Amino acid sequence: MTSDSSSRSSSSDEEDEKSTGKKPNTNSIDNSLDAIENQLSSISFNAPIDENTATFADYNHESVSEINDGSLTETVGERRVISIGESSSSRGTGLWTKNMEVEVEMDGSMASPSSSGYAGERGSSGSVSVTSGCGSDGVREVRDNGSTAGDDGVNSLDTDRGQWTSGKRHADEDDTSVSWRKRKKHFFILSHSGKPIYSRYGDEHKLAGFSATLQAIISFVENGGDRVKLVRAGKHQVVFLVKGPIYLVCISCTEEPYESLRGQLELLYGQMILILTRSVDRCFEKNPKFDMTPLLGGTDAVFYLLIHSFSQNPATFLHAYTCLPLAYATRQAAGAILQDVADTGVVFAILMCKDKVVSLVGLQKASLHPDDMLLMANFVMSSESFRTSESFSPICLPRYNPMAFLYAYVHYLDADTYLILLTGSSQAFFHLKECRIRIETVLSKSNVLSEVQRSMSEGGLRIDQLPVDPSARSGSLFHLNQRKPSPETVVGVGGPAGLLHFIYRSIYLDQYVSSEFASPINSRPQQKRLYRAYQRLYASMHDKGVGPHKTQFRRDENYVLLCWVTQDFELYAAFDPLADKAVAIRICNRVCQWVKDVENEIFLLGASPFSW
Amino acid sequence: MGCSSSLPDRSAGAGRVGGLNPSNGDSDAKNLRVKLVLLGDSGVGKTCIVLRFVRGQFDPTSKVTVGASFLSQTIALQDSTTVKFEIWDTAGQERYAALAPLYYRGAAVAVIAYDITNPDSFHKAQHWVKELQKHGSPDIVLALVGNKADLQEKREVSVQDGIDYAEKNGMFFIETSAKTADNINQLFEEIAKRLPRPPSS
Repeated sequence: MTSDSSSRSSSSDEEDEKSTGKKPNTNSIDNSLDAIENQLSSISFNAPIDENTATFADYNHESVSEINDGSLTETVGERRVISIGESSSSRGTGLWTKNMEVEVEMDGSMASPSSSGYAGERGSSGSVSVTSGCGSDGVREVRDNGSTAGDDGVNSLDTDRGQWTSGKRHADEDDTSVSWRKRKKHFFILSHSGKPIYSRYGDEHKLAGFSATLQAIISFVENGGDRVKLVRAGKHQVVFLVKGPIYLVCISCTEEPYESLRGQLELLYGQMILILTRSVDRCFEKNPKFDMTPLLGGTDAVFYLLIHSFSQNPATFLHAYTCLPLAYATRQAAGAILQDVADTGVVFAILMCKDKVVSLVGLQKASLHPDDMLLMANFVMSSESFRTSESFSPICLPRYNPMAFLYAYVHYLDADTYLILLTGSSQAFFHLKECRIRIETVLSKSNVLSEVQRSMSEGGLRIDQLPVDPSARSGSLFHLNQRKPSPETVVGVGGPAGLLHFIYRSIYLDQYVSSEFASPINSRPQQKRLYRAYQRLYASMHDKGVGPHKTQFRRDENYVLLCWVTQDFELYAAFDPLADKAVAIRICNRVCQWVKDVENEIFLLGASPFSW
Repeated sequence: MGCSSSLPDRSAGAGRVGGLNPSNGDSDAKNLRVKLVLLGDSGVGKTCIVLRFVRGQFDPTSKVTVGASFLSQTIALQDSTTVKFEIWDTAGQERYAALAPLYYRGAAVAVIAYDITNPDSFHKAQHWVKELQKHGSPDIVLALVGNKADLQEKREVSVQDGIDYAEKNGMFFIETSAKTADNINQLFEEIAKRLPRPPSS
């Protein structure tokens, strides 16, 4: 299997060795690739575009449905639809009702009849009609729960850190493996010449043929002066993102909205830029066939954890960061000492506990984008070497300046709490080391570190503590008597009125706070399902086509979801599926009031770089 | 980049100032303080060598170093002098190669490590030697280290090849095993003995 596949992938490297060791295989990517090459050559002779696109559809259909699960049965006897821009719009509408659809949506095609058909399709899983999209989703998620072993790559992460620090899993797979094709969500990074740079599953080098195929799709459409954004093939979506000479592709059957998948590709690209800066583009200017994989050596764990966080961390779609709940004075004390060192030429000083911010200070008016913070925290948490000793490493903040490195001094103060000091000077290590010693001394003297530890173990906002009676409002989370001693305390089924969970995002602060998970949303798969539901809600609320909306109430067999967007905040709340609408709305008002009452403790206010 | 400022200090032999060198050079004849940089291909065990030396630990799970880690360890020699090694454990990945001068500039010692089971890493080590001969401090102490000596059955670089190359280039050579701790302390003791001593006052 292995030798066969490697010879195949090398043979399909479209420009280098064209026919070495090639085996006839009617279903193989190679043949499809040949087909596309023929298309590319024939289109240059100005052949009628309808014929070309029709074959292109076949091609797409072949390659994408193969990924589905390796069985071709579901494609038999089905009609395929393709719509590329205006040229084939007349075909698109007539065939729309067939159950197997391959669509290509491009920038220029929004006005065509075929793409309006697509918009309706998207609506069903998005905002407009509430139920139809969710029914099938429920079925899928049940399957999620049933099939455990890593098919989405996210299992027991916290319990076994060694698993993901050791690097990529399933590296023995390639596009001929049944297991590889069955994976629900693939991510690929490739170069504009089709060379693989990163693949979530499987060995990049063995996927050279597959990468070349993706590249061929992208450049075929680009040659027509258009840009491919999305291909739909049955349950699968293929999302494309072009960043100069770097192409990113996601192939997913998770039914996440296009906007979410595209946002995930943006973050994946940002993570790569954080490691290398955008100056890698220059390598491709010098040599289009430049092989970038060695430059990303040893970073599999970084991408692994990032992709994992797409389904576990709401920051990935909210574009906001979250703070560790702390008494106001405690956070002020941490901020003061960070401000002290920032005044000595540190660009950013960030104190974090896991993925939560304790305090954050920026030099003058430099502001740190939440996405940069997410990517930086992901980079630090996934790189085990930072835990071993103090480190000094170049990192690039893509939203701050994608072209240049900053230098990061990273030091873990305890098992979860780490300090990042960023500077523009490659010479500043010993200065930053002294700053860290000062910070560490102050933090331990003022008990900030022990407060951080306590907050970590006690957790944040708990729905069962939502003050139902307005007179019982306290204005603080930190009344010792009210705090339950242990996070293991069994909480009843949700909070008042069937409230299961909520996320509150402050637009002005670029921060969000989410409630702690409580019964019955205890397991990872359940949490993932809820985040996916929020993600769809977020995408539909921010849909530029039909939105923006102010409120949304939807009910399915899993939850009642309620979303409320104002100028100041966005609230996403999940209730028991039987929750009453009027009561749910009342509870949401209480949640907002509660968040306001304790905002001193759950948000970083005042001294933040965002307050100017 | 701070290189020129280190010139007046060179006569002192160790504890030079510069970008990533501690500025308060408190070396004297009895208490040396030296900057040591560890270079070599990724996966040869640089971090394992340092952690074995500094903390007496060995962790078989591979942890990719990011950028460079900073550790220090003091050893006492028989002549009652102490040597404090300030060690830059650099990342072996290709993308960090351009940053290496940041760490080896002004270093009194460079330890260049390879994996005796991996001939490519031996070639990479030779590349580092050449770079240091060209751009390192003129009186830098160079040590060539063949690591993973416990994996005799997988050996692909002979001891003699290591000795020959080191001799040709005036380097100190030793084979070590961070896993069994074999020769790790000897490596640093031998380096300490070879350091140029500041004139005692």
